[in-house]
Amino acid sequence: MIRFAERFVVFFSLACTALLFFCIAVVTVYVLWRGLDAFSISLIFGGVDPLDALLGRRPVFDGLFPAIVGTLLLVVSAIVVAAPVGIATGIYLADYASPRWRVTLSALFDVLAGLPSIVIGLAGFTITIYLHRLFPGRIGPCLLISALSLGFLVLPYVIRSTQLALESLPATLRLTAPALGARHWQNIYRVLLPASTSGILGGIILAIGRAAEDTAVILLTGVVASAGLPRSLLEQYEALPFFIYYISSQYTTTQELEMGFAAAFLLLVLCGSLFLLAYGLERLLARRFVFR
Amino acid sequence: MSREDLLQKTILLCATVGSGTLVVGIFLLMLHLGWPLLISGQFFSLLLQEWRPADNLYGIYPMLLGSTVISLLALLIGLPISLGTAFATTVVAPPWLRSASLALIRYMAGIPTVVYGFVAVFFLVPFMREQITGGSGLNILSAALVLAILIAPTMVIFFVNGLSGVAKTYSLAVDALGGTPVQKLLYLLLPQAWPALTAGTVMGLGRAMGDTLISLMVAGNSIAVPGAVTDSARTLTAHIALVIAADFAGMEFMSIFSCGIVLYLFTVLFVSVIRLTSKTRND
Amino acid sequence: MRNFFATLTVLCAIMISGAAVHAADLDAFTGQSGTLKIAGGTAHIPVMKDAAQAIMEMNSEIRITIAGGGSGVGIKQAGEGLIDIGNSGREATSQELETYGLTMIRWAIDGVSVVVNPKNSVQALSSVQLRDIFAGRLTNWQEVGGEDRPINLYTRDEASGTRNVFWTKAIGKEAIDTKANVVVSNGAMKTAVANDPYAIGYVSVGHIDETVAAVTLDGVTPSIATVKSGDYKVARGLFSLTKGEPQGLAKLFIDYLLSPSGQAIVAAKGFIPVK
Repeated sequence: MIRFAERFVVFFSLACTALLFFCIAVVTVYVLWRGLDAFSISLIFGGVDPLDALLGRRPVFDGLFPAIVGTLLLVVSAIVVAAPVGIATGIYLADYASPRWRVTLSALFDVLAGLPSIVIGLAGFTITIYLHRLFPGRIGPCLLISALSLGFLVLPYVIRSTQLALESLPATLRLTAPALGARHWQNIYRVLLPASTSGILGGIILAIGRAAEDTAVILLTGVVASAGLPRSLLEQYEALPFFIYYISSQYTTTQELEMGFAAAFLLLVLCGSLFLLAYGLERLLARRFVFR
Repeated sequence: MSREDLLQKTILLCATVGSGTLVVGIFLLMLHLGWPLLISGQFFSLLLQEWRPADNLYGIYPMLLGSTVISLLALLIGLPISLGTAFATTVVAPPWLRSASLALIRYMAGIPTVVYGFVAVFFLVPFMREQITGGSGLNILSAALVLAILIAPTMVIFFVNGLSGVAKTYSLAVDALGGTPVQKLLYLLLPQAWPALTAGTVMGLGRAMGDTLISLMVAGNSIAVPGAVTDSARTLTAHIALVIAADFAGMEFMSIFSCGIVLYLFTVLFVSVIRLTSKTRND
Repeated sequence: MRNFFATLTVLCAIMISGAAVHAADLDAFTGQSGTLKIAGGTAHIPVMKDAAQAIMEMNSEIRITIAGGGSGVGIKQAGEGLIDIGNSGREATSQELETYGLTMIRWAIDGVSVVVNPKNSVQALSSVQLRDIFAGRLTNWQEVGGEDRPINLYTRDEASGTRNVFWTKAIGKEAIDTKANVVVSNGAMKTAVANDPYAIGYVSVGHIDETVAAVTLDGVTPSIATVKSGDYKVARGLFSLTKGEPQGLAKLFIDYLLSPSGQAIVAAKGFIPVK
């Protein structure tokens, strides 16, 4: 009987693994297969000469270019906000906070990590409405608001990875510099942070992936179906995940649908490789300190 | 402490307190905007009412039920699959498959939600309509199936970390007694790792409940109280996305903050459960 | 040289819209710059996109952003000053016009048509049958002469002007079954019905193409001709609203919509020009 139960566990585990990986394969292959015909230079630039489009000389209407630029701008500005704040918070939690503070604050950031992104989008939208009433005609839903909301959304990734990387450093490394007369902050910036780079970087990469794929936040804070290239952070913009969502519900031609699949494949490859890269860094980190 | 040290500390403290305040601030903001509903005592009746704006009913009961049913069903489907995959990845599978599986799980965690939704709309929904559920194919079951896949990597990563975090000495003791890997898994690792298993499960449930795009694209968004898993339903998250356009001063707009408050409270509940279970291990 | 390119772009625009365009209509945008934010009614989007493209290709200093959301969004956001032009597929109520001080301009006539999948054998209904279907009293296609399959209802969210017109003029304000699936735009409705063989929904007449079948209602087939002649009763205007009198780029844009080239785009997209 016990033998049977054990055999069943083996069979069950392998079957589940196979099923899950079959699903991943279906998603990846299906998206690639349906979007294959759309892959060409005009997928990105429509009918416009790539150089003209890159220099902003001519607007692109039938290509992914504005959506790709929008997503890039969005991710970069979100990380510019989240990385410094997140790293600072992570250092504080790991090296300064009293145990009680640490528990309270990490509980708060766990809540933030668990908050549905649409709730953060709703908060961003509401604050925008307030700002709009304070400065009529100046602020509405825009790239800046989306970037700030997204930055907030991905903050826990950076905080947690920084805190974890610092806390997992071996005590020998932690104590050497102070023993030689270094100040607390010198120890942090010259010794501990450099030793934790790959861990922190891993968190930032995860944050980039998360910021690039999120649709719910931007849906409420300023993404539009058609905008061209944004000229400032206070303008509305297009983005890849929203483009995919928009096409799924209202494509008009087969070509448009193929473009949707191609865009989905691009985003899939981008986010999938970012997560793999972060995993690689994590492994590297684990191996480095395992014997100390 | 020197001046530089103090300055450094102040900057770090500001960042920390600032981000912490924002987390609480979001809740206060929702509370503030939903306040008129709360003090008039309508908040709780909203949780039990239907959504019929034409009759001045702005309840969120159908969405509350929709969110709960969809995420629980997703968990019901996703949990065994994730457990099995975690077993395989830690113990059962040959070593080469284990590392491949770990990497694949990470890749899977990176697949954008909107891509899952896109594939579901064109692949799963027609299949469900023609072969399984009939109707339009946009229903609770379709959404739960997609969400089960979506939350699987989160759960697997938690489970794997928990199972492989069990003390090496125990593990060696089982080996020395001549136990097979599967026996080790069942009688040592599983009982030892249960806090991580609980945490992973609750995390998965939280992710399923917090997702907007899948239910918006696949669940059908009807405002009826769902009666079966083949019914079309709307979740709290999708409801926010659909009603955000309403008049900023009206009851409709105010009532989406009750959705926000409910979702926030669910998150707090999930985090508390995770923290409490992992605490028992440390004590 | 610049002029030559401008002419060339306009010529392209002529070919794209497939109608005679008077190059002079775009002249007003020469030397202008800035951003124009448009949102609201989703029936309007195809016209908005083409008009915006023609303007932005002629003068790249102008940026026009277009979002959906529904007529309710168009009216409210224009009223709040979040956007420059709000589109609506229904007339704004006098209360809405007064509260926000809005100006409403009609630039096309459209209808709201019931649509089913082209594979559906039922392509004609009486208004009583239609009302019963949307109220949830008739739930199987067999009951109206089709296959033995449940009817899949699709409706729009509360912000939709199309829903408002359909509800008022086609089903006599009968409450729509709450079990109906909800989609967020005219485009999404068309896509949903095109993909679901047992669906029934309603879209702007201008959006009808070969992927969906317009349902003959009480013997009248919805089309540009029947809306124009007044035989098809579920008709409506397409409106754009601005806070106060239209000014600057918003005024130029609306003038362009009403110009011969703008009206040519309106016609090319399947709506009835007002001029």
